[in-house]
Amino acid sequence: MLTVENLHAGYGTSEVLVGVSLEVKAGTVVALIGANGAGKTTTMRAISGMIRPNRGRVLLDGRPVEDQDAAHIARLGLAHSPEGRKVFGPLTVEDNLLLGAYGRLPRFFGFRARAVADLKNIYALFPRLEERRQQTAGTLSGGEQQMLAIGRALMSKPKVMLLDEPSMGLAPIIVQEVFHTIRRLKETGITLLLVEQFAKSALEVADYAYVMDRGRIAIEGTPAHLREDERVLAAYLG
Amino acid sequence: MYTLLIVQLAVSGALMGMVYALIAYGFQLTFATSKSINFGQGELVMLSAFFSLSLIDSGLPYWLVVPGGMLFGAVLGLFVERAAVRLSLEQKGEGWILLTIILGLLGFSAAENIWGRDDRPFPTPISSDPLHFFGIDVTPLELSVAIGVLAVMGLVELFKRKTLLGKAFEAVSADRDAAQLMGISATRTIQLSYGLSGLVAALAGILVAPITTVGPTMASVLILKAFSVAVVAGLDSGFGIVLVGLFLGALESLTSFYLGSGWREAPGLILLILALAVRPNGVFGKASIRKV
Repeated sequence: MLTVENLHAGYGTSEVLVGVSLEVKAGTVVALIGANGAGKTTTMRAISGMIRPNRGRVLLDGRPVEDQDAAHIARLGLAHSPEGRKVFGPLTVEDNLLLGAYGRLPRFFGFRARAVADLKNIYALFPRLEERRQQTAGTLSGGEQQMLAIGRALMSKPKVMLLDEPSMGLAPIIVQEVFHTIRRLKETGITLLLVEQFAKSALEVADYAYVMDRGRIAIEGTPAHLREDERVLAAYLG
Repeated sequence: MYTLLIVQLAVSGALMGMVYALIAYGFQLTFATSKSINFGQGELVMLSAFFSLSLIDSGLPYWLVVPGGMLFGAVLGLFVERAAVRLSLEQKGEGWILLTIILGLLGFSAAENIWGRDDRPFPTPISSDPLHFFGIDVTPLELSVAIGVLAVMGLVELFKRKTLLGKAFEAVSADRDAAQLMGISATRTIQLSYGLSGLVAALAGILVAPITTVGPTMASVLILKAFSVAVVAGLDSGFGIVLVGLFLGALESLTSFYLGSGWREAPGLILLILALAVRPNGVFGKASIRKV
């Protein structure tokens, strides 16, 4: 569903990614782990078009998208829930969710009516968001903002979802809740690329995993395989 | 009798202040989406007024001239975005400052060449015979300014709150990158904001023209006041802009009565300096604290 081949990207003249290749098959959860600064977030940003790759290919459902801008890639079915959550603080929870479905809703009137069923699904997944639907997103707690960011990405009914560091800055109990949510999403058959610093939890939920090191994929394999790899054990699962 | 005079002066001034508020609102619209403004907005106001005057000369009825002039302003706004702003924003530069000033100067020369340097009256079917409210004289012309300003600002605010496109507009102001990830094109949204900004600025020109007359320099002072209002109120509060506009208008009118008309421009500048010194985010602006 998502194929990345020999991706080179970076900021200005400094190249962060030096040939990243990975694949996310339909209906699977793939984890991308690695040390800080290994290039995980940059990989996500290059896939979703937030930065333009210097070289390499990104295929979404067989279609090359590496030279498209982020808005266009989003409409082709890629939802990227970015690092730091980036909810729209001044807007209400419900408006945030509606904007998640921007690409497939009418622009002027009647968009709320068209989105009722989808909103209901999101609220069933995150009852807390329904309680706070008229609150502005900036007033939510970090955990709630993360739920909102995930819900907002789901609203577009994406073919592939990128989820970057959903546990960042959250209390341990909330992190558990986040992973519980990811497992539930997995049961629904979502295609997900997950970047996580909690490698252990990420490997528990993933079908396949890549370990990044200094801008390239160092090791890849099934979680069972990676758990036995000494390098992975020493560096990330110690 | 004396208080009545003060109130009279304040009311007339405040109604004029609504025009400053409307132009300042145009600055807010583009600043929200792109953190840029058109420094040639005064010339846009003036060109739209001249264009509307030509529409009147061609025999078009007033109620068609108003939307015609506004449409012209919107097109000018789109042109400014395309010609002076877009490239520089893509390069994350500040080139738009100079480019919009240059476009303004070009607009000024164009107006002198097309319509001449003289100030011309702007005929309007709205009467200037004063109505009396509790001893205060207000002309229907002044009222039309206030009503027009509030109506168009109200409509734009409704658009922003009630339509998905309007919410997308707010999303781009809040977080441009995240908005793009929702499939919202930031470029299109910025374009739209420049179109709307041109539209409201043109309306300001049409509304004020019967009072100030139309000439190449008609908006040069107006635009300074609008800047002051935008800076004093803060660049993110539509409500604040109306209040500051009203206040500045009233203050000017009282100053020119008590200190002489030479002092008319002083309050705007003093307010501007005070605001920059004391509250750089504006009286109604939000301090930019970001939660991580």
